[in-house]
Amino acid sequence: MALFRGSRPKTPRKLDAMRRFLLAIALCLGALTQAQADDLQQILQVHADEVASPSRRSVGVLLDDLVASGLPQVPRFLEEWAGRTVWQGPDGRFFFGQEDGDQITLTDLDSGETRIEGRGGFTQLRPNGGVRRLIGTALVQYQLEDPDISRRESAVAAIARRPAADQLAPLVASIEGEPDDTLRARKTQLATFLSARFADTPQERIAAIDSLAQDTTVEARSVLNQILQTEAGVAASEPDGNIARLLNPMEAPDEYYAQLVEAGFAPAQTGPAVIRAALEAHIRDGTAGGVPLAQLGTDAARERAYAALSKEGLVPPLVTVETRDYALNAYVFYELYDEPNAEITAAAEAALASAEQRVAFAQAADLALDGLSLASIYFLAAIGLAITFGVMGVINMAHGEFIMMGAYTGYVVQLFVPDYTLSIIIALPLAFAVTFGAGVTMERLVIRHLYHRPLETLLATFGISIALQQLAKNIFGTQARPLTSPGWLDGAWVISDVIQISYIRIAIFVLALIFLALILFVLKRTRLGLEVRAVTQNPGMAASMGINPDRINMLTFGLGSGIAGIAGVAIGLYAKVTSEMGADYIVQSFMTVVVGGVGNVWGTLAGASLIGFLQKGIEWLNPSNTLAAQTYMILFIILFIQFRPKGIVALKGRAAAD
Amino acid sequence: MRKSFIAENPSVLWFLAALSLFTLTVVLLSEATGTAMISTSFVKTLGKTLCLCLIAIAMDVVWGYCGILSLGHFAFFGIGGYAIGMWLMYARTETIVLESLQNQVIPPTPQEVSDAIGNQIFGVVGSSEFPLIWAFADSLFLQLLMVVLIPGLLALVFGWLAFRSRVTGVYLSILTQAMTLALSLYLFQNDSGLRGNNGLSGLQNIPGFEETSQATISIVFFLASSVALGAGYVFFAWIVTGKMGSVIKGIRDNEARVRFLGYHVESYKLFVFTVTAVISGIAGALYYPQAGIINPGEIAPIASIYLAVWVAIGGRGRLYGAVIGAAFVSLLSSWFTGGGAPDIDLGVYRIQWTDWWLVLLGVSFVAVTLFFPKGIGGLFDYLVRKPS
Repeated sequence: MALFRGSRPKTPRKLDAMRRFLLAIALCLGALTQAQADDLQQILQVHADEVASPSRRSVGVLLDDLVASGLPQVPRFLEEWAGRTVWQGPDGRFFFGQEDGDQITLTDLDSGETRIEGRGGFTQLRPNGGVRRLIGTALVQYQLEDPDISRRESAVAAIARRPAADQLAPLVASIEGEPDDTLRARKTQLATFLSARFADTPQERIAAIDSLAQDTTVEARSVLNQILQTEAGVAASEPDGNIARLLNPMEAPDEYYAQLVEAGFAPAQTGPAVIRAALEAHIRDGTAGGVPLAQLGTDAARERAYAALSKEGLVPPLVTVETRDYALNAYVFYELYDEPNAEITAAAEAALASAEQRVAFAQAADLALDGLSLASIYFLAAIGLAITFGVMGVINMAHGEFIMMGAYTGYVVQLFVPDYTLSIIIALPLAFAVTFGAGVTMERLVIRHLYHRPLETLLATFGISIALQQLAKNIFGTQARPLTSPGWLDGAWVISDVIQISYIRIAIFVLALIFLALILFVLKRTRLGLEVRAVTQNPGMAASMGINPDRINMLTFGLGSGIAGIAGVAIGLYAKVTSEMGADYIVQSFMTVVVGGVGNVWGTLAGASLIGFLQKGIEWLNPSNTLAAQTYMILFIILFIQFRPKGIVALKGRAAAD
Repeated sequence: MRKSFIAENPSVLWFLAALSLFTLTVVLLSEATGTAMISTSFVKTLGKTLCLCLIAIAMDVVWGYCGILSLGHFAFFGIGGYAIGMWLMYARTETIVLESLQNQVIPPTPQEVSDAIGNQIFGVVGSSEFPLIWAFADSLFLQLLMVVLIPGLLALVFGWLAFRSRVTGVYLSILTQAMTLALSLYLFQNDSGLRGNNGLSGLQNIPGFEETSQATISIVFFLASSVALGAGYVFFAWIVTGKMGSVIKGIRDNEARVRFLGYHVESYKLFVFTVTAVISGIAGALYYPQAGIINPGEIAPIASIYLAVWVAIGGRGRLYGAVIGAAFVSLLSSWFTGGGAPDIDLGVYRIQWTDWWLVLLGVSFVAVTLFFPKGIGGLFDYLVRKPS
């Protein structure tokens, strides 16, 4: 082996060749006792020319020899060589050199002795980029076992970036001695990837491919896809080789025909544009192909004229639909695997299918998480409305603007309090206070005069809504304002490649849960809640029991509005704060309340969940088009209300009466 | 023998007289007749306002008389506009395309013409093929039929579903709002076949009348809108008077009682809902050639809420109230937002009405609902009240 390599010099200069031959024999003999030659210089001298001026095509021989020698000096030499700090002396010997003005510090490759000499006669070795890349590849196997973990990690990353067949053996060899658990797992994974593609025997490859079926990472699937790469082709009969599938050309006849034309099997198609151009090119005395120009306004006439031209031999023959289909049926269209072994491709197909099934499950889980977080946003936005609309029967069109007010409160707080965590802690209660105040004011000034005219509250509150929106625009401008979340809410909780959820959405989910609990507590366990429920069910009776319905209405309305303010802070954290943000949520919120069933907190929860999951589900079916998803969702809601006009959780009995 | 509905509804004659007088004045003062006291663009604004008045009457009938607060009638208005807009855009593009193809040596085939038109119209949304819904776009008659049929059918199906399952009150309002939101979201998509958010444009150019000046065209449309408003007023006045009108008003006041009297409430509601949708479609078909452009933003839910607000400000339950509300608010709105109102200098702060008009409008809604529930139309009660 070594003999063969050593006796294959690129530039056969007589003397050199002679010397090499002798040395090669020496090496060959040495190889019997496995790298007796502990002298790096000696090996280098065999390939002195290659070392001095390496070329990308031939340096491999030298690198193989170096690696095969197993000398401990090799990695350092390779690094220094690639780093252009190897120098050649006038006698042809190589040194590590440190340039210093006219002086040069030389280090012996093997003994490590240093000495200082004049620069004269020493030349620096400058391998080009291609060679340095090859050196790098050769180095990887040394780095894989380097004591420094960061170098091992970067070597593993280098393999992952550019996998190659010759990395497999050193990688596998390095797994055993790897002390770091994470890195060992990663190395094992990479080794599986590599052996799936490059292992020597099909059995090994199939075993590796089968184990990839358990792996849902993007990387594993891309390995499988690489094994399954195909090339499309066309031939007169079924070709030899590992055929992935035969294609039916009638599915897209024009595209397949273009392939035929490209392969030179058929004449170019004569579409309307070609015919037209040909006719224009052959106009004679106001006719083309014997047909007067004025009559060429139909496809039939043009084809007649073109046929006449082709009969004269002026243009290629007309390709009609029939001739096209005939040609398509005469040929076989196929996709051929790049991998010739059918067993391997079959195993890879099976593994990919199984991996994709696992991925689909993971995606479903991810989708469920997405749906959950969207549901909690809708819940937060709608729960305030559920109180004012559901419990009090008041349609508050300005509810969205309370959300906006809450978000702007958060923004203003952040202007004064630069610490994001602190500012959010301040903003939440402040937003509640601000919108509670606004809600109470609105109830006192407007709503209480309209309790007996429910549809008109819609108009009045709509007026308030556009006035508040315009006011916000006048004060804060039309551009979006940021509401920055604290640093610890950045990032996402990554469960796997497919399943991950950002912390902010988790925070909103938690906030929604807290509010659900809080509202249930207030309504079911406090004096206020008792009075609210009493007034909701029968104001007259409640009043005669000593409850002041006016005060209760005011507080309920304030509570609903205050929650909208807090929802505003939460929504502002992940969406932009604009004067129109409330309007984006108002219709959704109404639908949430109506779908869920009016007058019931659980109903709102059910409505928000239904709408949230549904929207994510429809988006998943049609990911390119969120507008369509929203459209279909609204259509669904319209249909849903047909069948359950009172929502999911409908009140029964007298309380249900309007 | 019951009295003629006009005798029962004296406002019809007054209204027709006022409308004729107004129309005559505008025509005489317009650029088309040479006096040019009113600019062409203002004639268009007035013409558009008449169309808005027409849909406001429809809204008044469905809400003020029948008690169905529909927050989706602008969807029908928009559909009417789209239906006529498709023909306008198709026919006009066809003219342009034919003209440009005329210079070619070989006459174009029908397929080439249609491809070129498709390219012109749908180029902005990266397509060149005619969607199925454009199948009748080359026929004015069929598209005019669509103006009436599609809003009618949509209202019929939607109303049948909603009324059948007894969706009433606030629920129905939100359902209709969802309908118009779904429609506008659908139209916002590029592959909806109606040019996505670009909408249809160039509608002010009427095919076949390229030589006619916009001044004349604007007057023609103004007259058409005026006639439509007059006819619509008479038609609705006829509907809300007499026995049917009584049943409709009965449904508004107490639906259950009317049902117990043996009337099929759902049919009446469905009839009112559908007829008003058709009239809304016609109003839209007249409005958008004067506006020149229609896009999905026009049928966003907010438009229909404004419609309800106009009717409320004008005075519900009286047809002239709706007309007054729509005309008053929409003209005032364009006066303020168009920079017609002088800014008020407060010394420390300068109130610019383009910024503050919506605030004023919002506050006025509140004031009107609180203090003048009968709206502006209520003022007439004081005028015609006989001394007792």
